[in-house]
Amino acid sequence: MRLALILLGAVVLAFVATPLLIVVPMSFSTAVSLEFPPPGWWTGYYAAYFGDARWTKPTLNSLGIAAAVAVLTVALVTPATFAVVRHRFVGKGLVNLALMLPLAVPHIVMAIGYYAFLADIQLLQTFPGIILAHTALSVPMAFLVLSANLKGFDRGLERAALSLGASPARTFLHVTLPVLWPGFAAAALFAFVQSFDETVVALFISGRDTETLPRKMFDSIRTTADPVIAVVSTLLFFAVAVLVIVPVLWRAASRRRLEPRP
Amino acid sequence: MSAVPAPARGSLGPWLLLAPLMVFLAVFFVVPLAQVAVMSVSDPEWGLGHYAEIATDGFHLRVLADTFFTALVVSFCCLLLGFPLAYAMAAASPGWAAVMMVVVTMSFWTSFLVRTYAWMVLLGTRGPIARVVEWLGFATPELLFTRFSSTVAMTHILLPYMVLSLYGVLKRIEPSLPRSAASLGATPSSVIRHVVLPLAAPGIVNGLTLVFVLCLGFYVTPILLGSPREQMVAGVIGQQVEEFLAFGEASAMAVVLLASTLVVLGLYHRRFGLDRLWG
Repeated sequence: MRLALILLGAVVLAFVATPLLIVVPMSFSTAVSLEFPPPGWWTGYYAAYFGDARWTKPTLNSLGIAAAVAVLTVALVTPATFAVVRHRFVGKGLVNLALMLPLAVPHIVMAIGYYAFLADIQLLQTFPGIILAHTALSVPMAFLVLSANLKGFDRGLERAALSLGASPARTFLHVTLPVLWPGFAAAALFAFVQSFDETVVALFISGRDTETLPRKMFDSIRTTADPVIAVVSTLLFFAVAVLVIVPVLWRAASRRRLEPRP
Repeated sequence: MSAVPAPARGSLGPWLLLAPLMVFLAVFFVVPLAQVAVMSVSDPEWGLGHYAEIATDGFHLRVLADTFFTALVVSFCCLLLGFPLAYAMAAASPGWAAVMMVVVTMSFWTSFLVRTYAWMVLLGTRGPIARVVEWLGFATPELLFTRFSSTVAMTHILLPYMVLSLYGVLKRIEPSLPRSAASLGATPSSVIRHVVLPLAAPGIVNGLTLVFVLCLGFYVTPILLGSPREQMVAGVIGQQVEEFLAFGEASAMAVVLLASTLVVLGLYHRRFGLDRLWG
């Protein structure tokens, strides 16, 4: 039973990995439509991706939007996280719940809400409209990441700085921020990725000039199955690989550094 | 929480820190959401007509039933596949566990669209599965654009949520517990059934709730991979807006979808506390 479970686990692992890996050979395939194994190999679709403004512009749009969302989310969530983690006040449970709400509402519901709302305030199909919507949707994850980080923070460090005569502002800038920076970075990264990948809301509220990459990919898969989609998928695959594997390697390396040498 | 008490400040302090975010969410989250509720009873005219239509015409009820059924199937497929994987991860050596964790996390972070596209390749009529079936001498299978293809892809996409939930609890099980059960004469399968599974129950409930709720509102994958004749709620809502500009009808369906989601989450919250779900 135990061995059977572990073998089954290995099969499931292959089920998880195969679709992630298959996009790589697809991107070097000469096939014009979905065909696997590829009939031939070339890098022509990479040239097509990088040379075609219909792909590069949505990519740049998405990068810009995601960067703005990351900054705005962290700026809004940071003071709120300090309030929730460090203070006791009436209604804290409710605030906690309210901050989680954007995670509970299906994106299609928000998509039609934003469509109507942004049209009313003249921000439909504009960058500010998309950035504001994505920021609201990024709040819960950023809050979860940051509050987990802040809960682990040793307040003794701050008290030491204060008792040595540092002002609260100096203490925050020179003690609190440097210790918490991985938390800020993680929260910003979550917000960035959330916005960069967000498809459903962007489908409804982005326009011709503000098209995001997921919207372009969605349209491309739905209408033409453009082979360039495999190139984009492969680039995203490697971006995620770097994002996931680098911290693992880094942690392993620092563990090795810390271990006493025999 | 740290042992050091919070600095003594007036009760206004935390609210000043919270104010920017709360105002932002009120304007850019609550207002759009409320607009959906208002549109559902006001577009094109005031009244509960759209809800009456949803409750009485067969189409909407069938879509809702299909959606719930699909979400249930996907949740249990995720559990059936996720448990062995999480179990293997918890049992593996640190090196192998790290490799498995990297694969699961990568899947978690990879865009829904990329994974949906990958399944179009895998299940397509000129894809690897069709090739193998042909090679075995059978007719080319029509796997794509069916309920099967969207269920497989959604299971794959949501599986990481289940695996991470289960791994969290399985990893925390004291290794001496299964060992002492075995030394007292329990067979390996009864150790798993009577010791491991009950201890993993919180993770199982967690994973099922997450996957079910996410699946209820799924839009992208059923549209790109599913059968056009068997749509899910989110797809119907999108279609009402995109093709017919029927905001009232779409909003009423959206309210029903949101209410179903909140009921499931509310039940979870009463029993376990919502802050545990994503932790």
